[in-house]
Amino acid sequence: MSGGVVENLIIELTRLPGIGRKTAQRLAFFIMGMPGEEALSMANAIIKIKEKARFCKHCFNITEDEVCSLCTDPRRNREKICVVEEPSNLIVIENTKIYNGLYHVLLGALSPIDGITPERLRINELVERVKEGNISEVIIATNPNTKGETTAQYISQVLKPAGVKVSRIAYGLPIGGDIEFADEVTLSKALEGRNEMK
Amino acid sequence: MLTRTEGIVLKTQKYGEADLIATYLTSDKGIINAFAKSPRKTKSRFGSSLEPLTHAKISLWGKEQALPRITQSDIADSFRQIRENYRDFVNISKLVEILISLTPVGIPNKRLFSFFLNILHIVKSSEHELKDALHLITRIRLLAVIGYAPRLKGCGKCGEKSLDFYPDSGTTLCTKCAVTPDRAGKPFMRINNKVIHFYTHSIEWPINISNRLKPGRETLSGLSGLLDKHLTYLLSKKLRSSEFFSGTAAQFR
Repeated sequence: MSGGVVENLIIELTRLPGIGRKTAQRLAFFIMGMPGEEALSMANAIIKIKEKARFCKHCFNITEDEVCSLCTDPRRNREKICVVEEPSNLIVIENTKIYNGLYHVLLGALSPIDGITPERLRINELVERVKEGNISEVIIATNPNTKGETTAQYISQVLKPAGVKVSRIAYGLPIGGDIEFADEVTLSKALEGRNEMK
Repeated sequence: MLTRTEGIVLKTQKYGEADLIATYLTSDKGIINAFAKSPRKTKSRFGSSLEPLTHAKISLWGKEQALPRITQSDIADSFRQIRENYRDFVNISKLVEILISLTPVGIPNKRLFSFFLNILHIVKSSEHELKDALHLITRIRLLAVIGYAPRLKGCGKCGEKSLDFYPDSGTTLCTKCAVTPDRAGKPFMRINNKVIHFYTHSIEWPINISNRLKPGRETLSGLSGLLDKHLTYLLSKKLRSSEFFSGTAAQFR
């Protein structure tokens, strides 16, 4: 490989998820071919996100300010909180455009075997928010896997004394798939959560 | 090389964007790690077959010494009832952590596989009055199967009656044997006869009639504490799942 700087960039790029050495090489040569200002603007964007990005003090979404734009938006329904594991999950739910409430990002999921306890997540902050705010419903949108399910069960239990409605997003089949390829657990969950046709 | 086996998923670890490394307890290869491509994507053909505790028939591609790739995984029993019950899942997590910590990788152990599968079936269908007792019995039995069960029936050196358990020896020791110069000041736990009886029956009785054992709360917490100390000494660290359980159990009483 030619020299230190290119090799250095390849090594740095391989740190990104899903990027192997071959892809990193392609990206490195693409960046080398980019106009100078575009490459610098990309580098500046990385520097800025590390300098300015932080967690919102209410919902723990990523923001530049103390409070994120979702928490300060007066048009949002302030009686509902949707609980997600990571900020990336929040973005996906926002893209659906059917949820207009607030969010709470846990920054992880409970895992007994990995020692991820409730104290390591933002669960206490959620309980405080529910106690202090005028919240009517908490929607748990953690991942539909064992860690997400354990987290959902724990949250539902700790929120019981607050008397708030706690709901869980539905389990089921992905749209566009064939039933014959679904496994029995997904299919049985889809049957359990079936809806009446309107 | 393509190999087929059956295994129970002990744990999974995220790898890359949407991949997973699954740790299996298999019937003929012992504990193995295997790689699965993109099971975290919603339309993955693996579906839920890589969720912890799933008993599945799997096909693996690649050398066993390296990280083989899972090419197929068909669920034999999902054991989702355990995963959906917080207390059961956290208690089974303790067993999984003990298994992973104390069992060597890649050493076939058919007895251990059958034992663990049987435990999952029992916990799944159990209407044990004292589920905490059942979970404690499963922990004791697992330690016995893998050869790390403490000895509580008499002094481990001379066989004399004793109620003092020494975690560093993994056994009870009588006053005579415990005071040798090399053992001066070693910590011990005073236990009672109820704990010893419950422990002995837990190991000797068939597990399917263990619901006849009705230990008191004190016996359960005493023996559970003893096992925790024993495991902490063996592993040189506390079980993560044990700490997790003691930190969250109060919410589920």
